[in-house]
Amino acid sequence: MDEKNTMKKFTNSFLTISTLLLFSACSSMQVTEESVADQSVAGVSLATKSTATQAVLANAVVYFEYDQFNLTSKSIQVLKGVTELMRNNSKITISLEGHADERGTREYNLALGQRRSESVANYLIANGIKRNRLITKSYGEERPLSLGSNNLAWSKNRRVEIK
Amino acid sequence: MKNLLLTIIFLMPLGCLGELFLEITKGSEDPYRIAISPFDGDVRTSNQLHNIIRNDLMRTGEFSILDEELLLPIRIKDDELIYSDWKLLGMDYLITGSIIKTKNSIDVNYEIYDIHKKKKVRSSKVFGIPNQIRQLAHYTSDGIYESISGIKGIAATKLLYVNETKNSKSISAYKLMLADSDGANEKVLLTSSEPIISPSWSPDGKKVAYVSFETGIAKVFIQDIASGKRESVLSKSTQISSPSWSPDGKYLSLTLYQDGNAEIYIMRLRDRTLTRMTNQFAIDTESSWSPKGNKIIFTSGRSGSPQIYELDLRKLNPKAKRISFEGTYNAKASYLPKEEGIIFVHRSDDGLFHIALKYKKENFIRVLTEAKMDESPSVAPNGNMVIYGIKEENLSMLAGFSLSGARFKLPASEGEVREPAWSNFLR
Repeated sequence: MDEKNTMKKFTNSFLTISTLLLFSACSSMQVTEESVADQSVAGVSLATKSTATQAVLANAVVYFEYDQFNLTSKSIQVLKGVTELMRNNSKITISLEGHADERGTREYNLALGQRRSESVANYLIANGIKRNRLITKSYGEERPLSLGSNNLAWSKNRRVEIK
Repeated sequence: MKNLLLTIIFLMPLGCLGELFLEITKGSEDPYRIAISPFDGDVRTSNQLHNIIRNDLMRTGEFSILDEELLLPIRIKDDELIYSDWKLLGMDYLITGSIIKTKNSIDVNYEIYDIHKKKKVRSSKVFGIPNQIRQLAHYTSDGIYESISGIKGIAATKLLYVNETKNSKSISAYKLMLADSDGANEKVLLTSSEPIISPSWSPDGKKVAYVSFETGIAKVFIQDIASGKRESVLSKSTQISSPSWSPDGKYLSLTLYQDGNAEIYIMRLRDRTLTRMTNQFAIDTESSWSPKGNKIIFTSGRSGSPQIYELDLRKLNPKAKRISFEGTYNAKASYLPKEEGIIFVHRSDDGLFHIALKYKKENFIRVLTEAKMDESPSVAPNGNMVIYGIKEENLSMLAGFSLSGARFKLPASEGEVREPAWSNFLR
């Protein structure tokens, strides 16, 4: 039996320290008494509230390359229009909501979405829009526009929505 | 001979072979052979217990359990078990037990006999109440696993994960769920119409931290499991994410977006004071503590692609040390419980995402899964199992493997499940 136990440690790629523990555990009979832990759980339900913002600049969306947050020339065309609108409506504040495609880890994608949102903000600031009129945030990969797992769907999901 | 062969296979990676995968199906070729005699007492309870214990042990990949129809009656002579009966059946261990049920209590007694050494190696009692049958079974499984393998069992641990369902109008509902380590006994901790990600256990298993988008922006909340009491950890207006509890329960590492960029901070829970840990133009996130609490690992994009870095917290102004070098995407790392290695998400050359393992002593990584979009690995507290998220036919579900050969899947009872987090030992 001991030989077999030793082998197990290798299959588990475990350190020999656990083997030593095992041998000592085997040398005499183990007697235990324990009580099952109490497990009360209280569930919380958040009241549904709409987070939909008023669409001032409907359909203004800019897209990004995989793993990238720099603006493409096509994005800049869209942002020129947004800059114009912001100048003509000096009271509005907009939210720049960054998103990522599903590939990669969720937290890294949340950060990537934020970088995309910041890229858009930086362009607008460079073009004379005040920082306090811009809200940057990210949903990472949590809110895909397109549900497939293919290049087309992914390209639609790597975006900043301007609302 | 088989033993010798296996030893060689598993010793070889210690050399310098660059592409040897950990052959996790090998472990189960030489499992512990055990017989579990039906427990005396209430037959229905005995059957219930038996099924749960059987699943718990099979999931480890380290056991072969004798079919029920092949079981022999327990024969005793001069107060001693007749070991030869079980030796003839090729068993390594025999488990017997009894159930004592009253109106308000249900107790399980079990014994483990080593057939080769011809001795009783364990005699244990587990006390519970009637609605705790699953827990009683998990405690029993852990006792059996510990006595036979010498490693602490994880049947009585718990899992956190996120469930997403869609209604007929495709509107999502998100739930933070709590379940036993086998996916049974599901409980809802939080229901929201906005996404929930990154659940993290407090080391004592009494609280959870997670990211909720309920305010329209990512924020970290702490929630007490028993009372449901919850609070946002910081009253900042910017995005906060990626919580990870220190092993002593006193600190929470977080990702803050104060300058618009993801940076890692450590918050002392007592007074919510923050210490900034990274200061980089690139993304720094996904921090996770070492088992002793003296280091954190995290993902950083500072080299141009996501890679894993380590920070030694004992040093003054520590400098982050890069610890992943293979491939162009390594992220969401966590330490194995004895710090002998790390488990993380790795993008292979074909662009697919897998769960990988790197031992500290080795200079290569071991890719452990083979689906397309494996993510969010979480290591069981005994270091023997990993649970992670997979995507199958566009549906997210949980899958797991033990380092000794077994694989398992936990599909959602409804909708999709992802973001698993394994608790610490709870017994």
